[in-house]
Amino acid sequence: MVPLKVLFGQESFRDGVDLDGDQFFDRLRQASKLPTTSAPSPGDFAAVYERLAGDGEGVISIHIGGQLSGTVEAARVGAQAVEGLRVHVIDSRSTTMTIAFLCLVAAQSASLAEAVQRVEARIPKQRIIALLDTLRYIEMGGRISRAQAMIGTMLDLKPVLGVADGEIKALDRVRTRSRAIPRIIELLRDDYPLEHVAVMHAQAPEEAQRILEEIGPELKRDGVEVATGQIGAVLGTHTGPRALGFAYLTR
Amino acid sequence: MKLALLGSLNWLAANQEEVNRLNVFPVPDGDTGTNMLLTLQSAVEDIKDSSASDVGRIARIAAHGSLMGARGNSGVILSQIFRGFAKAVEGKTELGPAEVAAAFEEAANAAYRAVLKPTEGTILTVARAAGRAATAAAAEPRATVTSVIKAASEGARRAVEKTPSQLQILRDAGVVDAGGFGLQVMLEGMLKSVEEPDAAQQGGEGLRAQPAVAQAALELPEEGWGYCTEFLIAGEGLDVDRIRSEIAALGDSVLVVGEPELVKVHVHTDDPPRVIGLAGSFGRLEKLNVGDMSTQHRRILEEAQPNGSGSPPAQRQRANNVGLAAVASGSGLVDIFKGLGVDAIVQGGQTMNPSTGDLVAAVDGLPYDEVILLPNNKNVVLAAQEVDKLAQKKVHLVETHTMPQGIAAVIAFNADKPAAANAQLMERAAQQVQTIEVTRAVRDSRSNGRRVKKGDVIAMVNDRLDTAGSDYAVVVADALQNLGPDKYELVTVYRGAEAGDAEVDALSASLHERFPTLEVEVQAGGQDHYPFIVSVE
Repeated sequence: MVPLKVLFGQESFRDGVDLDGDQFFDRLRQASKLPTTSAPSPGDFAAVYERLAGDGEGVISIHIGGQLSGTVEAARVGAQAVEGLRVHVIDSRSTTMTIAFLCLVAAQSASLAEAVQRVEARIPKQRIIALLDTLRYIEMGGRISRAQAMIGTMLDLKPVLGVADGEIKALDRVRTRSRAIPRIIELLRDDYPLEHVAVMHAQAPEEAQRILEEIGPELKRDGVEVATGQIGAVLGTHTGPRALGFAYLTR
Repeated sequence: MKLALLGSLNWLAANQEEVNRLNVFPVPDGDTGTNMLLTLQSAVEDIKDSSASDVGRIARIAAHGSLMGARGNSGVILSQIFRGFAKAVEGKTELGPAEVAAAFEEAANAAYRAVLKPTEGTILTVARAAGRAATAAAAEPRATVTSVIKAASEGARRAVEKTPSQLQILRDAGVVDAGGFGLQVMLEGMLKSVEEPDAAQQGGEGLRAQPAVAQAALELPEEGWGYCTEFLIAGEGLDVDRIRSEIAALGDSVLVVGEPELVKVHVHTDDPPRVIGLAGSFGRLEKLNVGDMSTQHRRILEEAQPNGSGSPPAQRQRANNVGLAAVASGSGLVDIFKGLGVDAIVQGGQTMNPSTGDLVAAVDGLPYDEVILLPNNKNVVLAAQEVDKLAQKKVHLVETHTMPQGIAAVIAFNADKPAAANAQLMERAAQQVQTIEVTRAVRDSRSNGRRVKKGDVIAMVNDRLDTAGSDYAVVVADALQNLGPDKYELVTVYRGAEAGDAEVDALSASLHERFPTLEVEVQAGGQDHYPFIVSVE
């Protein structure tokens, strides 16, 4: 794991190393200015690749989509700095738990070549659906505008966003949170059958649990175990607190 | 034919306010007279500019002009009356008594066909009665065109008198039908012009003198619009009722609300200095604003053109190639619609109904092949229904009757789905919202079995008078109680231009207290006439 960084003013934290999700949202509540995020440096990658050299036939290095972050570029530059190691850098065109699912697919492969081939086959099958409590955070990071989301500044609308094929898109906008939750479940069900799925949340464990209880049984019947994931510092910088959603691979 | 139309325009202009006053609900949207007049004016304007001299062509030009200028439901029905008349006289160079009578009959038929569920006791009934009386008169041995028009006009008058016996709401309100009366006035004006063509200004010289007549006629409504004058009176122990009655003598569309320390005044008047002088005798004037309403009218037309001055051209092409156009008024509501992605806003609504032509211009100005149109007012729905036939774009109408319905519809819009699927989604979303519109009664009346006094706070729930009282907070909470608050979770209050901070605070406090489970959001709507529009969903 090569962590991205989150910056509160001059202070820099490695996501999941120096700051977990709860600590991050505590800090966010008290911050006078919104944090920003940054990709790891090529040096960060080179250091990790150096450590892995000699451990196997090569490295498959899977990262946040190039349209969303500079991470994959840093990884490519870092890989060139390491001599005598095959590093296969993959632009996942997605983010968060779907990358974990791709890692799982890679880990279950018999060879580097098979891992690369199986992971690449699943890249177009990744989806994320996110219900945000406000568009404020993702808008600050420049990932989507209010005009693109067709969400004005006046009404307190709940945006439902999706990530597919590397791009963030507005899927829907709903007047209240209680109506938005059934809506994201409906959007998920439209994409059945699934191969892997995780319910993600930022400081909304009870709602995530209720969603899990609703979709868990039907997915289990279909042979899919539902994971849960907490939204960490870097993703949380863009979603803000109380985000809820799904990261999944369609079958 | 030209003289007859000018005669009806003149006479309707003179009686516009009388028609406006015949409003079934005591809400400040009585503008049937204005809507019919503007529609008729649009019909006559095109004739004035045309050299056509045969009856068939004149009638066709009038029909087209009235359709483009149609405003409000009465205006749209009037345009259909013209259409029927024009169809009946197609190809004719002159009309005898029988042709005139047949054209009146066909005019009424066309009007009936235009309405999905024709209601008796309205302009439709009056048009039919006029046609039948005309046919009977034409069958008389010595019938003339004049005798036929006279019979039509009298038939209309008798039918108007009977409208309260046909419609409960008219009976309750103690009025005759406004649209029907407007048609009666037009027929009377027509009769005057054929009975005494010389009496009407310099009309005696026939066609040559007509431009002068037309000019005189067309200037009338502009005077009638006058100046929209608004200000606050600050003082001590101000008598709101006395101020209201004194201001009312100097203009119309009068709205005077407030407290002993601060009174807000809104009036349409021809003489702003006199109003200001009078108001100055009560206290100190603040936030004085005088607007020329004929300029406002022109601005409405300009704003309807998305590429005209004022609004920037739409830049983004949506994936589904579907644009959104909506009718809205009130700065806050306009901003909300724009923020939600509406590409063209046509100014208007409760009291200033945009014409079919305004809507067509807005729709055709958008860089999309299909457009979803939201009228957001029940008085705009009929004009909006005509837009698809006249516009170059394919138009999908989502028949929203209120601003909250329009907002719910826009929120349901999905830029990845085709227009027809969106229209369905939006229609469904609009129907899930309940609307409470709150204003003050403009006169005493009975409606929906309820007695209302002039100046009372009244709440219309989904266009029906629901609750009346003296206090905004109580009336809104009562109306919400009647809706059954258990079924809903969110109340959005759109605050109008006339709502004061204290009234807003009292209203939210009352809603929080009586309905603790409901979420309450207050938004600046900025709409006139309605201090509060409340969306319940």
